[in-house]
Amino acid sequence: MNRLSFRAALCLGAAMLLALFATACGSSNDDPPAGAETMSFKITNAGCDPHNAKAKAGPIDFQIESESSKVTELEVLDGETILGEKENLTEGLNGSFSLTLEEGEYTLRCNGGEEEDGVLTVTGKLESEDSPQVEKAIAEYRKYLEENTDELVSGTTPFVAAVVAGDVAKAKALYPAARIPYERIEPVAESFGDLDPRIDARENDVRPSEFGGFHRIEKALWEEGTTQSMIPIAEQLQKDVEDLALKVKSVKLQAVQIVNGANELLGEVSASKITGEEERYSHIDLVDFKANVEGSQVAFEADEPLLSEADPKLAKEIEADFEAVYESLEPYETADGFVPYTDLTKADTRKLAQGIDALAEKLSQVPAVIVRQASS
Amino acid sequence: MSPLSRRRLLTSAGVGAAGLGIGGAGFLVGQETAEANAEGTGTVEFYGPHQAGIDTPAQDRLHFAAFDLVEDDPQALRDLLEAWSAAAAEMTRGEPVGDENDLLVAPPDDTGETVGLLPSSLTVTFGFGPAIFERPALGLSGKKPAALAPLPPLPGDELNVLESGGDLCVQACSDDPQVAFHAIRNLARIGRGTVVMRWSQLGFGRTATTSRSQATPRNLMGLKDGTANIRAEDTGAMDRFVWVGDETDQSWMRGGSYMVTRRIRMLLEIWDRSSLEDQEQTIGRRKYSGAPLTGSKELDPLDLEAEKNGKPVIAEDAHVRLASATVNDGERILRRGYSFTDGVDESLGELEAGLFFICFQQNPERQFVSIQRRLGQFDALNEYIKHVGSAVFAVPPGAQRNGFVGEPLLA
Repeated sequence: MNRLSFRAALCLGAAMLLALFATACGSSNDDPPAGAETMSFKITNAGCDPHNAKAKAGPIDFQIESESSKVTELEVLDGETILGEKENLTEGLNGSFSLTLEEGEYTLRCNGGEEEDGVLTVTGKLESEDSPQVEKAIAEYRKYLEENTDELVSGTTPFVAAVVAGDVAKAKALYPAARIPYERIEPVAESFGDLDPRIDARENDVRPSEFGGFHRIEKALWEEGTTQSMIPIAEQLQKDVEDLALKVKSVKLQAVQIVNGANELLGEVSASKITGEEERYSHIDLVDFKANVEGSQVAFEADEPLLSEADPKLAKEIEADFEAVYESLEPYETADGFVPYTDLTKADTRKLAQGIDALAEKLSQVPAVIVRQASS
Repeated sequence: MSPLSRRRLLTSAGVGAAGLGIGGAGFLVGQETAEANAEGTGTVEFYGPHQAGIDTPAQDRLHFAAFDLVEDDPQALRDLLEAWSAAAAEMTRGEPVGDENDLLVAPPDDTGETVGLLPSSLTVTFGFGPAIFERPALGLSGKKPAALAPLPPLPGDELNVLESGGDLCVQACSDDPQVAFHAIRNLARIGRGTVVMRWSQLGFGRTATTSRSQATPRNLMGLKDGTANIRAEDTGAMDRFVWVGDETDQSWMRGGSYMVTRRIRMLLEIWDRSSLEDQEQTIGRRKYSGAPLTGSKELDPLDLEAEKNGKPVIAEDAHVRLASATVNDGERILRRGYSFTDGVDESLGELEAGLFFICFQQNPERQFVSIQRRLGQFDALNEYIKHVGSAVFAVPPGAQRNGFVGEPLLA
């Protein structure tokens, strides 16, 4: 769960990046973009002051002064997605952050104030200078997201039905197919508040009362051997994946954000799939591993045309590294998936991990290359 | 966006250059160390006829790593040594690695844990293992020095293959452990995709004196270690025993040396129960003064002929006898090792600790191998130690500015 890093990926500091990033984009403690509108706010015990505000679409520099030690943060949200914020402003402290906003209504929130939420109304048109190439890539990636969330729903539905019906064997058989599409697009889920922990948390990620989703059911199936108390959890899972499929249709996407998602998917592999921590009861970690890599590759390919212009050598090396990772997985493939994680030796996981590290190190350079290309 | 510079940070904090040096910052408390260089920041020049880290006065801390090539690609190997040399030059100067450390969308080139720290005499030394000369795709078989061969099995070896050998090595030494760690970590990162780490070793506490300005330290057995070591100031000895000269069949090695590393586990639980007399007899020196049993001061020469009651004072199987030049056809090696501990041995519940032995010589077979063959068979010390890791590397001469280590080999 990398909510913070994915959100941070939405935010870039320099004015030169406006051209690529049509929607919300911000930074704190950086020089505001040239031509930015300045808006001043005070944080008070009553909430933000002014409570509501209006602005023109474009770059906005939020200047904040705190007059409260009870209320110490100001956030700008799009729905429940935080676009920009300044925290830890106790009485007497100042802070600022900048955002580039397009037309719409946003929430202005001073957490803990008597009336914490107000409305920031942004009007006008934002100059969008996305090249047709970039727009095409973003559209294609959106299509991939929607295909996979649809597959997630269609894979989860029979799984949930089997769980509800108490058919342990059938639920186990259907589990991998439900996991694959989720693992391909996981970073996007993470940007929607707590959908990811609800769907995909492992036991020690959340409080016991909050442990639900796929892995709670996984535990019931493989460790407890029964789905008796799982009906409400399964039904909630169904609701959550349907919710995700809906949200994905309208999520705002940016080129660098997509590449950051590619990086995050490989981070997922390194942090929990290669260690067997993800699928602790079913041990289908290699299934997730491959799905993460597939998702990463598609995300990368969305930006590849841009990258190939800027650094064709790097683009080729990355593609070759992806192929090498798939090859390194081949020895573990079986007729209907992969060997269980518990079959792997330390030598096996070491080789897989090193392949991922090599690929991820190169992939992490892509955002900077794209950004430099865009501003040149 | 101006690059951060450790030196700049220090001057802006108002710390004068001359005020830093011997005894500063606490790392050096209790140890005599080499005199700080003119600027007092502890910068050891990376470029020069020899690689630094051999005749450099031994620093307090080590981070050592052996790497294997992912693919046998000559161009990739060349590019790697170029990038590694450039990074090493930056780190030894106290500069961050690379140029891009301030762009929000990019992971910084330098990992950052040494920002604000002095280089503290950092040296970064590179070596090539015998295996890369054997693999046809690299095209180096015609350049293999006759003196470079995998070490033969030696008596008493209990080597862990996974912690032995390696295509390439990097030795990073500094008085600041964070600086030494940072060097290996950043080089490993630069190498991702070209090399993988094979094994690594952190060392604390030098167990050698490589300069007359240094006092002899103690190893984990409580023994002074390095009394009879070659000193850097003995240029005659350095030329005779350490630096590769005209005797080599490969001109690219002139000015270089051969490094042997041995991870020597000390069975400390057993050693600690042995009597003081046992300990001193095993070594052949007094434990506390370091004096040979035949003498009264540490630097007194060994008298291998001396007898008492018909028996040699320094026992036939005493370590210093078997390791001495006298007994080994006059051969000597430059020792430059570090103490280590890696936690608890899982199967025994005992300390996993000892000496990460490093030595440099002109010819491994004539020097280390011959000496160790004798020690491995006869040394009384064998009761208390086990060689569990081993490697040999050709350490090329130093790089010129705008060049890189290994250039004459790889060009």
